[in-house]
Amino acid sequence: MFELDRFSVAFGSATALRQASLTIRPGDRLGVVGESGSGKTMLALSLMGMAPEAAQVSGRLLIDGKDMSAATEADWQRLRARKVAMIFQEPMSALNPLRRVGDTVADPLRIHLGMDRAAARAQALDLFREVGIPDPEARLRQFPHEMSGGQRQRVLIALALACDPALLIADEPTTALDANVKLRITDLLVRLAEQRGMALLFISHDLASVARATQDIMVMYGGDIVERGPTAEVLHDPAHPYTRGLLGARPDPAPQQRDAAGRRPRLPTIPGTVPALHALAAGCRFSGRCPVERPDCATVKPAMRAFGTRSAACHALEVPA
Amino acid sequence: MKLPVNLLIGAVLVALVIGAAALSLVWTPQDFTVMNVRNKFAAPDTIHWLGTDQLGRDLASQLMAGARNSMAVALAAVLLGGSIGTALGLLAAAIGGWVEDLVMRIADIGFAFPALLFAIMLAAVFGPSLTNAVLAIAFINIPVFARVARAAANQVWTREYVAAARAAGLDRFAISRDHILPNIAAPVIVQATIEFAVAILAEAALSYLGLGAQPPSPTWGRMLSEAQTLMYQAPQLAIYPGLCIVAAVMGFGLLGDGLRDVTDPRLVRER
Amino acid sequence: MILDVRNVTRRYRLPRRALLQPPPVLVAVDNASLSIDRGQTLGIVGESGSGKSTLARMVMAFERPDQGTIRFDGHDLNALSTAELRRLRQRFQMVFQDPYGSLDPRRTVGWSIAEPLRVMGAPDTARRVDEALDHVGLRAADAGKYPHEFSGGQRQRIAIARAIVTRPALLVADEAVSALDVSVQAQILNLLMDLQDELGLAMLFISHDLAVVASICDHLMVMQHGKTLESGPAHQVLAAPSHPYTRSLLTAAGAAA
Repeated sequence: MFELDRFSVAFGSATALRQASLTIRPGDRLGVVGESGSGKTMLALSLMGMAPEAAQVSGRLLIDGKDMSAATEADWQRLRARKVAMIFQEPMSALNPLRRVGDTVADPLRIHLGMDRAAARAQALDLFREVGIPDPEARLRQFPHEMSGGQRQRVLIALALACDPALLIADEPTTALDANVKLRITDLLVRLAEQRGMALLFISHDLASVARATQDIMVMYGGDIVERGPTAEVLHDPAHPYTRGLLGARPDPAPQQRDAAGRRPRLPTIPGTVPALHALAAGCRFSGRCPVERPDCATVKPAMRAFGTRSAACHALEVPA
Repeated sequence: MKLPVNLLIGAVLVALVIGAAALSLVWTPQDFTVMNVRNKFAAPDTIHWLGTDQLGRDLASQLMAGARNSMAVALAAVLLGGSIGTALGLLAAAIGGWVEDLVMRIADIGFAFPALLFAIMLAAVFGPSLTNAVLAIAFINIPVFARVARAAANQVWTREYVAAARAAGLDRFAISRDHILPNIAAPVIVQATIEFAVAILAEAALSYLGLGAQPPSPTWGRMLSEAQTLMYQAPQLAIYPGLCIVAAVMGFGLLGDGLRDVTDPRLVRER
Repeated sequence: MILDVRNVTRRYRLPRRALLQPPPVLVAVDNASLSIDRGQTLGIVGESGSGKSTLARMVMAFERPDQGTIRFDGHDLNALSTAELRRLRQRFQMVFQDPYGSLDPRRTVGWSIAEPLRVMGAPDTARRVDEALDHVGLRAADAGKYPHEFSGGQRQRIAIARAIVTRPALLVADEAVSALDVSVQAQILNLLMDLQDELGLAMLFISHDLAVVASICDHLMVMQHGKTLESGPAHQVLAAPSHPYTRSLLTAAGAAA
């Protein structure tokens, strides 16, 4: 179980993650969406104990009830792979090109779990089967460049699963993949989480993948968590103006015809651009771009307010009593 | 950003050598051409800071003038060899195909050819002179720069802004001039600094063999060569120019390494 | 008709596997045909390895087809002399995928935008750069800045400004919005639609993302492994896809809606 309590990561005056609070229980599948600079990757790195050394960290991170604020790098090394593991966007650069993928997957088994060579190899084979790599015995002996992008991502998933982590963080795991492969990898992550009772933190800007992979969703903007709730509900009826803007801006695969004057319908957009971290408003990070902004939005940080199974941080939010 | 130690030490040594060389153009402690046989092998004093040589010439002044000659030879040789080599590398990358293969195979032959042998050949045909020393050292620099420039240029050619320039209608030579050259300047300059050290050493070796500068213009290599027969009588005559060569070569070598460390993002990340 | 591509095939020889066997051949584009009218947009959708980028490179005359012809405004691109082709290039321009790689980091934005004008020897360069910046929603003062001072979306605007500064008739956009965040992507797509209305541009819009292509195209072509699976008016292809692959692309893109 992972708990963040008002957890912040800052670089001087630039706050990359502001007062994030969340709980991840075994078996949870939580999606994190947001654009560049939203803080979603910083959140993932914090959960791995990998926030940059230059950063000032405040608030608490509890893993199984233990406060990690005093944890050393050696403590974290014992937890990584076994308690929390991560897979990345680009499966090619995350694999050592000079090692056979079977050895890459067997390494952590020998280092962390003290298995001998034969046992580690057998375990790697099982993992390859579990992540659906065809002809796993032959694949163990291959090098990364001999595999397709989807197969490499499966190898990375097998590697992340090697030490049976309680939480798997997937940072844009499908972004570099083709559409069909994307669907299969997403479904694989869901199946693995369900079978193993493992928690999954699925970070992506691709709303289609997040919708498919997760039960709950968190929307981030400018280092803040602005909305959270069951994935289907949030995507169907977004409460925060940023979530509404983000969903609206996503094009729809339905045909768009020109009107009588030959004009094509424009996509709804969020005006302006994401400001640099140090230039964000002190109050609501979205102020300045928000269509329902009020006078005090730029200066007063909106609190997360719950309604039903959901919550959002917006001054303009009408919460039924 | 923290500057690497090798960059700092290299910069200080290089500044000292270049400072001494520059100063010698306008001022030396004594006139280094003036001989005074009665005052030969003088011990250091307030007039002759490092003493005098076997002909009574001021040693410190000769070393400063030698620095000037070494710098001039190295600069001319690296500029000449570097420009020709970089141009060849750019050409190879721009045209590709058999032209690239040809240029690179010629460069390989150039690498395989012992530089000193080439200099001796040159001196044998045209007579020993400073100009021929420059030409010989420049020649050995051509394949080095051709390789560095081609490798860097080939990387830049894959960038999208090069494709954009092609879409704009630029030909290969205009693209090489406007986009490739500015973007390979950093590795080429780093290489030039390192080759500068090699050139100083090569010049010293050629002068030592009598294939470089001719008397009376002093160079470190020739001072070393003349001091050879007097090793037991006056070892300081060999030690001082030797130290100067070591300082200059180390200075430029360290500076080049340091520059590479700060300009190559891959190495920075690994640190 | 501004662009007419007829039966174009492009093969690549792959590295030899064995010493005595002939090297294997990859057919990157297999007998592709397409045409675009003035002011219209053709979208090509396909994944990596589908041949869509190779097709774009041939339309830009960066590469020659092994078979087939490519005509731009009636000129056969591969029959022109180098000088004629260079003159014609100002009329078909390209926007690339990577907003970080498509601008020379050592040149100011104004310098880069003016590049096609300098090649033409066009007068009034400064004024036309200002105009182009204005068209893409940037300020004239931005011309003096360097690419690293801009965000990804702004850089893509700069790349578009460079592409339209010569007032081309055809714009080729290869994954031009793929590297951008969703909200920025919508802004750039709208900008391209605005420019098409204002300048009467024809567009060849290439993407792996069917939803993005659907939002901007009149005609649609689906490619896989170098082959054209289907093509036709966008609303027809999207409403009644004839190929199972197109249907699977629709599923992948549509799950969010």
